Amino acid sequence: MTATAAPPATALAELLRSMADDEFVIGFSDSEWTGIAPLLEEDVAMSSLAQDELGHAAALYGLLGELTGTDPDALAYDREPPEYRHCRLLDHGRGDWAMTIARRFLYDTADVIRLEALAEGSWAPLADLVGKLVREERYHRMHAGAWLDRLARSEGEPRDRLLAALIVLAPDAATVFTPIEGEAELVAAHVMDAPMTELEGRWRASIAPVFGDLDLPMPPPATDPERGRLNHGADFDWLWGEFTSIRRADPGATW
Amino acid sequence: MRPKSTPAPVLEAWEVFRQEKDGDPMRHGGSVMAPDAELATHYAREMYGRRQESVRLWVVRRSDVHDLDDGDLLQPPLDRSFKKPGGYVMRDKLAAARAQSGQAKPKARSK
Repeated sequence: MTATAAPPATALAELLRSMADDEFVIGFSDSEWTGIAPLLEEDVAMSSLAQDELGHAAALYGLLGELTGTDPDALAYDREPPEYRHCRLLDHGRGDWAMTIARRFLYDTADVIRLEALAEGSWAPLADLVGKLVREERYHRMHAGAWLDRLARSEGEPRDRLLAALIVLAPDAATVFTPIEGEAELVAAHVMDAPMTELEGRWRASIAPVFGDLDLPMPPPATDPERGRLNHGADFDWLWGEFTSIRRADPGATW
Repeated sequence: MRPKSTPAPVLEAWEVFRQEKDGDPMRHGGSVMAPDAELATHYAREMYGRRQESVRLWVVRRSDVHDLDDGDLLQPPLDRSFKKPGGYVMRDKLAAARAQSGQAKPKARSK
């Protein structure tokens, strides 16, 4: 990778914020399984996975903080719900186990495609971080895939619940690829190798064989792509209340 | 086409062996419960590797382990002291052999 002209800071900040918020929200949401996952080993696995995502969010908020001169903790905790830019796929709450697996499979597969598009990017701080994130996300993708496979192949309640979850998620499934404001500048500066619409095509091609094998319905295009990272809704308001509660209990305290 | 349905999974025990660093022996770490080898491997990774404490794991279905705890075979009652190497000192014999061949004493293996 070669250092080109400084990347467009505003668009870069938008990209980092959307990625950090995605990881932060799915990490917190999946951590709700701690103590109540279907079996003890899975409890540890899902909690560890959720913790990984919070680690990724911390690293991304760190980059964003450096770029904008903002405290990463303030970025994570001190915004109002409408200011978060995670995709609407993650506005669907944890739900049952099938919902969590469906949401995680759709997100992890999309996240891998997004990371690959950034891995050779021209802005070294992000490309370096992405190189590390890709290696950790491999396992996430494997684990979500293993569960998707098992639920889909178990006739009766497991498969029925998975299908129900996929139907609920369908209108928002592709929202990871909501175009970022100023995205064209990021592509022109070689921070990312293609626009989001093209990445969505890559993602569909990557999951089509899995959905085909398991006879699952492919997610349709996003119903409301303009608002793919806006208007988060009641489930997120509740989650926001949870993950900011300690911080708000004593603003400015050092924990 | 609908995928072939699989039978309801049954949890069973898997034994996990771990290697702490390259060159170390595989040591028994513990066990996990899982319905199949793939998830057993994922759970082994979480239980015995998520803090970067292992460089390799072996995951073995417990029922595939051949168990031998037969007292007649392992703890026979008669005197077995003649099977033990105590009293047979190698040190002097090795030193003599080395002197004869002109080889130096090998250094302790680095860890």
